[in-house]
Amino acid sequence: MMPGAFILPLLLGLPLLGAIFVMCTPKGEHALHRGLALVFTTLTFLISLLLLRYFDNRVGTYQAVLDVEWIPVLGARFKLGVDGISLWLVLLTTFLTPLTLLAAHGAVQKHVREFTAVMLILETGMLGAFVALDLFLFYVFWEVMLIPMYLLIGIWGGQRRLYASIKFVIYTMIGSLLMLVAIFYVYVQYASVTGVYTTDLEALSRLVLPHDAQLWCFCAFALAFAIKIPLFPLHTWLPDAHVEAPTAGSVILAGVLLKFGIYGFLRFAMPMFPHGAAVMAPYIAILAVVGIIYGAFVAFAQDDVKKLVAYSSVSHLGFCALGIFSLTAMGVSGSIYAMLSHGLTTGGLFLGIGVLYERRHTRRMAEYGGIWKQMPVFSGLFLIITLGSAGLPGLSGFIGEFLTIFGTFIAGDTFPKGWPDYLPAPRLLGALAATGVIFGAVYLLFMFQKVFFGPLDKKKNGSLPDLSGRELTVFLPLVVAIFLMGFFPRPFLRSMEQSVQAMLQTYKVRLAEPDGPARLQGDPVPDAAPAAAGTPTAMNTAAPGPGDGAALDAQLRDLAGRAQGAAARIEGAAGASAAVDVRANGGTP
Amino acid sequence: MSFKAADLIYLLPLLVLAVSGMLLVLAEAFYRGKDRAALMGLAVAGAVAAAVSSIVVYRQLAPGEVKPLLSNMLLADRFGYALTALFSVVTALAAMVAPAHQRAHGWVHGEYYGVLLLSAAGMAMLALAGNLVTVFLGIETMSIGVYVLCGLRRRSRRGNEAAMKYFLMGAFATGFLLYGIALIYGAAGTMAFAGIEDGKAFTLAERLVDSPNRGLVVAGILLLVVAFGFKLAAVPFHMWAPDAYEGAPTPVTAFMAAAVKAAATAAAIRVFAYGMGGDILAYGNFGWASPMVVIAAVTITLGNIAAIRQDNIKRVLAYSSISHGGVILVGLAALGLGSGTAQTSLMYYLIAYSLTTMGAFAVVAYVGSRDNERLHIDDWAGLAARHPAAALAMTVCLLSLGGMPPTGGFFAKFYVFKSAMEAHDQQLLWLVIIGVVNSAISIYYYLRIVTAMYFRDSKGAFEPSRSAPLAFVMAVCPLIILEMGVMPGFWLKLGL
Repeated sequence: MMPGAFILPLLLGLPLLGAIFVMCTPKGEHALHRGLALVFTTLTFLISLLLLRYFDNRVGTYQAVLDVEWIPVLGARFKLGVDGISLWLVLLTTFLTPLTLLAAHGAVQKHVREFTAVMLILETGMLGAFVALDLFLFYVFWEVMLIPMYLLIGIWGGQRRLYASIKFVIYTMIGSLLMLVAIFYVYVQYASVTGVYTTDLEALSRLVLPHDAQLWCFCAFALAFAIKIPLFPLHTWLPDAHVEAPTAGSVILAGVLLKFGIYGFLRFAMPMFPHGAAVMAPYIAILAVVGIIYGAFVAFAQDDVKKLVAYSSVSHLGFCALGIFSLTAMGVSGSIYAMLSHGLTTGGLFLGIGVLYERRHTRRMAEYGGIWKQMPVFSGLFLIITLGSAGLPGLSGFIGEFLTIFGTFIAGDTFPKGWPDYLPAPRLLGALAATGVIFGAVYLLFMFQKVFFGPLDKKKNGSLPDLSGRELTVFLPLVVAIFLMGFFPRPFLRSMEQSVQAMLQTYKVRLAEPDGPARLQGDPVPDAAPAAAGTPTAMNTAAPGPGDGAALDAQLRDLAGRAQGAAARIEGAAGASAAVDVRANGGTP
Repeated sequence: MSFKAADLIYLLPLLVLAVSGMLLVLAEAFYRGKDRAALMGLAVAGAVAAAVSSIVVYRQLAPGEVKPLLSNMLLADRFGYALTALFSVVTALAAMVAPAHQRAHGWVHGEYYGVLLLSAAGMAMLALAGNLVTVFLGIETMSIGVYVLCGLRRRSRRGNEAAMKYFLMGAFATGFLLYGIALIYGAAGTMAFAGIEDGKAFTLAERLVDSPNRGLVVAGILLLVVAFGFKLAAVPFHMWAPDAYEGAPTPVTAFMAAAVKAAATAAAIRVFAYGMGGDILAYGNFGWASPMVVIAAVTITLGNIAAIRQDNIKRVLAYSSISHGGVILVGLAALGLGSGTAQTSLMYYLIAYSLTTMGAFAVVAYVGSRDNERLHIDDWAGLAARHPAAALAMTVCLLSLGGMPPTGGFFAKFYVFKSAMEAHDQQLLWLVIIGVVNSAISIYYYLRIVTAMYFRDSKGAFEPSRSAPLAFVMAVCPLIILEMGVMPGFWLKLGL
C-alpha cells in the first residue's frame, strides 16, 4: 500500500455515507439534513487536504494509489490514484461542494432531505471519476454523475426544467456510449495482444493501436469529452441546463462537471490514442477558438445574467481546450490552471446570481441597477469575482489564460507533426484567442455595470438586504482562493509540472511509434503474417479466457514477441527494412 | 433407454414444479375460501422448493460437466440449473405480485397459480433441453399455460384480444418450429443434440455439416430462427407483443416479459449453441448467425423508436422488452460466432433483465388503484411525492433497463456488447455501435417515466394496491439489481 492510500476511498465513501445518513433521518428536519450534509462535506474537504501532505511534487506518477480486485472475470479493478493533473481538481470539488450546500440553504426549501442526499451522491460520483484509474470504474462513475445532475435540474429547476434535464442527459449519454464502444475496442485489442483481460488504465495505455483505429477511438472519446466541455458546436445543452438548474446545480455543473471534458482528454484520449490526437488537434484547437469568440459574443447579447455566465463558460472552457491541444507543457498547465480558476470564479458568479435571484426573483439585468448602494459588501465581493473571471492580473483567471495563449503561440515550434498547411497557424489562433480575453472583460464589466452601478431607479431594489453571515461565509473562502491563486501560482503550478511533463513525454514517445498492427508500446511492429517460424499457436488463437491458460498464453506470446524482436533486430542491422524503428527495438525487454 | 434411480435427483426441479402445479389445480377445485391468497402461499412454496432443488443439483455438478439424462432428451449441466433456479424465482415473484392485483381488478381466479407453475415446468424443460423434441414440448407446455393466463380476465375485451392474438401468433410460430425441426431431422436423421448410435458418438452439428442436403439444412435453420424470432418477439415477428403485454393482467405481463422471454432465450441457446454450434453452421451467408445479426440490429432499433411514441406504460415496457430481445439476439449471434464469454454474458443478462422487468411490472401493479390501472404516463405524475419508495424502486428498474450504472442492467449490456466485440475478429463492431446508440435513445423514454414521477405534480390521489408480498417483490428486485451492478463477480460465474 502506498502512503496515503487510505485517503481516496475515504473521500469517496464519506459523501456516500452522508447521503445514507441523511436519508435515514426523518423527513422535514431541514436543519438536521443541512447540518449533516455540511459536516460530511466539510470533513471530506479536510481529508482531501491530507492529499497535499502526502503528495510528492517531484514525481509525475500516480500517488496515493489504492488497487483492489473488483471484478476478476472482467479484469476490472478498483484502482484509485491522483497525480498533478487530478489533484487540484479533486480539491476544487471538495472545496466547492460544502460552499454550494451552504449557499443552498435559502434557495432550496422543498424536498430538502432528498436535495442534500443527491448533492452528496453527486460529490461521490465526481470524485470517483477524477480519481479512477480503471477505465471501467471511470465509466461507471462518469455515468453515475449524470443521474444526480438530472434530478437536480429536474426537481429543483426552473420553468423549462423538463426539457433542459432530458436534453442534458441525452446529449451526454450519446457521447459517452460511443466512448464505451471505444473502450470495448481497446479492451478486446489488449486482450488479443497480451492474452490478459484488463481495464486497468496504466496497462491499456501501453497498447499501441494501428493509426486509423487510433483515430476512430480518439474521435469516440473526443465526442464524449467535447460534449462535456462543451466545445462549439456541441454546446447547446449548456445554456439550457444552466438557466434551468438551481443555483447549486449551476455551480457544480460549471465548477466541476465541465472540467471532466478537459480532464478526460488529458487523462484518457491523448495518451491512449496519440496519433488520433495529433491528427485532430488542429481542428479541435480551431473549434476551441471559435468557441472562445462565439461564446463571448453571445454572452454579450444576453439580458439574462445566468445565460450570460453560461455562455461565458463556453468561452472560458474554449481556452482550456485550446491549451491542452497546443500540446506544450505551458499550454497544458495553463489549461489546468484555467480550469481551477474557472471553477472558482464562475462558481462564484453563479452563487452571486443566486443571491440576487433569491432577493428579487428575476435574472434580467434590466431589472437591476444601482445595487452597489444597497448591498456594498456583496457588490465588492462580486466585483472581485467578476474581475477574476475577466482575467485581471493578480487574480486567478489571468495566469491560466495567459499560459494557454502563450502555449498556443509557441505550439507551432514544438507541434509534433506540424500543422497542415491549409489550417491557420498556431500564432494566429493564439492571437485570436487573446481577443477573447478582451471580449470577456467587455461583457463581464458591462454586466457588472448594468447590475451594480447606475441609479437605483427600481423601487423593488430599494429594500434589498446585504449579505447575511451565512452568505458571507460562502463568498469569503472563494474570494480568498481567487486572490491566492492570482498572487501565488507557484505552488499550484509546481505540483502540476511533473505530471504534465510525464503526460506529454508519454504522448511523444507513443506518437513516435510507427503504424502497424496492435501491439504493446516498445514492441517491434509485428509482420502482417503471423510469426510462422517461432510459435504459431500463440499468435493465431483467439483470445482465451482469463485464468491459468491466459497466463500461460501471455508467456507464450511474450516469447513469440521476443523471437520476433530478435528477427527484426537482425533485419534492421542488415538495413533490409526501413519500416522497423530501431529505437523501438531498443526498448524491448 | 436406461434410467437409474440416482438420476432422479437431476429431474427434481422439473418434477417439483410440475407436481406442485397439478396439486394447485386440484387445490383450487376444492378450495372454499373467498380469497385465493392461501393458494399464493402454496405456489410460492412450490416455486421456492424448485429453486432450492435446482441450486442443490447445481452444486452437485462440476463446472463444465454435462450429464445426459433420459437417453439425451435432457442435458443436466450448471447452465441449465442456474436458469431453472432463475425461472423458479421469477415464478415465485410473479405469484406474489398477483393477489393484490387480482383483488383490485376483479379477476380472482385460483387457476392462475396452478397454470403458472405448470408453465414454469415447461421453462425448466427448455433450460435442460437436449433434443429438439424436448424443446418443442417445453415451448408448448410453457406457451399453452401463458395463453390461458393471458386471457384470465374473461370479461375484459383487451384481455380477450391479447389472449387471441398471442395464441394465434404462438400457434403460427409453432408451425415454423415444427417444420424446421422436421427439415433438420430430414437432413440429419436425428433430433438429439448429441448421442450414440451403433456404438459411435455423434452430434447434430456434425450430422448437419456432413449432410448432402445442404438446402434442407439451410431451410430448417432459417425456419428455426423465425420460430425463435416469434418467441423472442423480434422484429418483424413482434406484432403480437405490445397488444398481448397491454391486454394481459399485469402480473401475467410481468411473467411473460421476464420469464417467458428468458426461457425462449434459454431454448435458443440450447438449440443453436448446443445443437447447431461449432465452427461451421453459424458462419457465412447461410449460417444461422447472419439472419440473427440482421434481426438483432432491426429489433433493437425499431423497438426503441416505437417505445418513444408510447404513452401507455405497459406498452412502453413492451417495446422496451422487444428491444431487449434484440440485445439478446446480439449475444446469441456472438455465441455462434465463437465469442468465449457470450454464454456467461447471456446468463447474466437474463438474470438482470428478468429481475428488472419483474420489479418494474410489480410497481405498475402496485400503482394501479381499484378499477383504474393508471397506465398512462400522465397518471404517474407526482408519484415520488406521495409514494417515494415505489417511485425509487421504479427508477432503479428503469435505469437498469436503460443500462445506467451502477445497476445490473448496465453491466448486462456492457458484458453482452463486450462479448459481441470479441466474436469473429470484431466483425460485429457495427452491431455494437447500433446497440450502444440505441441505449442512449432508450434513456429518453425511460426518463420520461422518471420525469413524470419526480418532476411533475400529481393530479389526483393515488390508491395503490397494497399487499405485503407485492411490497416484498418491489423491494427485493431493485436491491438485487443494485447488488448485481456493484458486485457482478458472483453472478458472472454462474452457469459455467
